[in-house]
Amino acid sequence: MKANSPTLPPIPARAGPGRPKKRSGPVPAWGLKLGGFLTTLGIFAGSFGYANAHLYVTNAPLQPATVATTGAMAATSASTATAVTSTASTTTTTLTSAVQTTTRPAVTVTKKS
Amino acid sequence: MDLFFWEIARASGLAAYAALCISILSGIAPRTQALSFLASNRAVRALHDWTPWIVIPAALVHIVALLLDATARIGVLDVFVPFLTSYGQLAIGLGTISVDLLIVVLVTTWLRRRFSNNAWQWWHRVSYLGFGTMFLHSMLSGTDLTSPVIAVLSWASAIGIAYYALERLGKALNPARIRA
Repeated sequence: MKANSPTLPPIPARAGPGRPKKRSGPVPAWGLKLGGFLTTLGIFAGSFGYANAHLYVTNAPLQPATVATTGAMAATSASTATAVTSTASTTTTTLTSAVQTTTRPAVTVTKKS
Repeated sequence: MDLFFWEIARASGLAAYAALCISILSGIAPRTQALSFLASNRAVRALHDWTPWIVIPAALVHIVALLLDATARIGVLDVFVPFLTSYGQLAIGLGTISVDLLIVVLVTTWLRRRFSNNAWQWWHRVSYLGFGTMFLHSMLSGTDLTSPVIAVLSWASAIGIAYYALERLGKALNPARIRA
């Protein structure tokens, strides 16, 4: 038979001298470490996939000098294209009116003669 | 093969940024209760002490991949001495400074017992400067920051860290609030 026990008073909301004690989350230290590791690894994998899909980013803030040189060389060799170097070291190729569109089909296959 | 190193460099750069965000946030969190919804201060502190294990590999992979990548044209000296590169001196130089500051923070942490607590804290605060230079480096040179999603995530994490850093600074300047 169950013994009669007196009803306990409710636990006061305020514990301690001033304010209510804040309860912290339940995640253990190893869980945080695993989360941190997986987050970093996930960002690495996701970024690698993104970089693989977007190899050449023309509006990237920084372009290595080789790209600028290539752009300048292309501009020098082709008289119909002019290279304009901006302050952010990016090369923009502007086509002049001498370059015209064509109605011919695009060349997709090359053959040895 | 060269493009492979370029992709690795880009991906590891973002991973290093994320790892540093986790490190800085977990360092600030015990005083600001930023992660109290997630775990106890003891667990967050354990995470902070462990974060070099993700920051160092990510940063090392970023640096080594850039050294091996022929297009980036980064030399060994450029890794430690800022503003020597033939292009993007400021953007790449800021990354070099953040590497130098990261080394300072890690070395002083490992030699913590040789410093007084006050001196060590001042050395450790250099990490805020390191994060700032890394953020600017990623903004000025990050190829993938042209993606709106990556840019928003990067800015959001930086703004979050800045918010909690300012909150912690406010508490440090007004210790009466902590005791109240």
